Amino acid sequence: MIKHHPTRELLIKHSSAQLPLALSIGVSVHLEMCAQCQAQASRITTRQADLLWSQDGSQHIDFSSMLNNILEQQPDSPVKQESKPVNSTCVAGSEYQLPRALTAFEQLKWSAFGPISRARIIKDADNTRASLLHIDKNGVIPSHKHKGYELTLLLEGSFADQNGEYHKGDFIWLDNQVEHAPFTREGCLCYTVQDAPLQFVSGFSKVLNPLGQLIY
Amino acid sequence: MIVNIAHNLADRRLNNSELDNLDDQQLQINLWLEKVAKEQDKQAFAQLFKWFAPRIRGHGLQRFKQEAMAMELVQETMLLVWRKAPMFNAEKGKASTWIYTVMRNQCFDMLRKKQSRKEDSISEDLWPMIEEQEAAQEGDHFQKRLLLSHLNSLPLQQKQVVEAIYLQEMTQQELAVHLDVPLGTVKSRLRLAIAKLKSKLEAEND
Repeated sequence: MIKHHPTRELLIKHSSAQLPLALSIGVSVHLEMCAQCQAQASRITTRQADLLWSQDGSQHIDFSSMLNNILEQQPDSPVKQESKPVNSTCVAGSEYQLPRALTAFEQLKWSAFGPISRARIIKDADNTRASLLHIDKNGVIPSHKHKGYELTLLLEGSFADQNGEYHKGDFIWLDNQVEHAPFTREGCLCYTVQDAPLQFVSGFSKVLNPLGQLIY
Repeated sequence: MIVNIAHNLADRRLNNSELDNLDDQQLQINLWLEKVAKEQDKQAFAQLFKWFAPRIRGHGLQRFKQEAMAMELVQETMLLVWRKAPMFNAEKGKASTWIYTVMRNQCFDMLRKKQSRKEDSISEDLWPMIEEQEAAQEGDHFQKRLLLSHLNSLPLQQKQVVEAIYLQEMTQQELAVHLDVPLGTVKSRLRLAIAKLKSKLEAEND
């Protein structure tokens, strides 16, 4: 049962193509797993469309050559298009099917540090970084907080922190200065997005430094 | 829940005549796109183009602040509408919403191209068109509202059946019991009523 969902504001921005790619992927993956949010997103899209199209369309621009160019093209035949095969990836001895929104990201490269493995999805586009993070059974990430925001979307498995337990499909948004130390009993695979480096708060910053670089 | 309430409030802000105007236009757009989809009707496409091109350009100017990119958005969106029209399913949503999603996806890919010089079009992975249409229930609601706007033109017995089933959401069986008539009578009254409402709509929009 999914308990954590994107806010209405995020859905609105996603529906109008105003989020950075890393976050739009996160929202899209959640919508694929959550019928309730998918229905809400559809309603939002309909309203955005109504609003946009209700604007004045009386401009005196000559579009006729553009129209003729388009009409010269052959329309696609109405056969049902085959959906693209989804992507899968191997990490820590298991194979995972990736969500549709990650179809374009092939041949992920994993690097590991202890129980944690990371594959970079997006590096520093629109000031965001996105990764897949895999944590082995009984793995823990030392207590840390974020300067900006951190999105964690649970693709497989579950984890817990001091605020509660999270399950497959949960869309977990943490704003700056929230400190947490996630722990997983069964292991998990997450899609994560951050907009600023992590700060480790437990005093072992030197020891943890490689870890910080790995998971940010 | 809160979201539903918010939607209802927003609905109420539009008065009824505005809604009726909107619906007539939307229905017209639906008919045009269906003609393009089924018959590759160039005249219907030219009508769609005339209606959407200036609005898409306006949106493009807002997003890109550049005439050339705004015109590229018009060109690419309307080309996709022409080519992909057969994928549109009128039973699952409004044509104008579908065209909006085509434009929105194009916009996302163009912004990405501008910022990162990436040529790939990732929007199809983010917003699969088919799924969006399947999840949208607005279409039903929209068709229903259109049909109901002609309710008063029906004979009383037919009107009664349509109201009970579409407004009070009774089942046909419940209604038969309620009116104390055979189920077959309810079915045939409903069939006649729907046919009449449909022909009204078609006559109005031809």
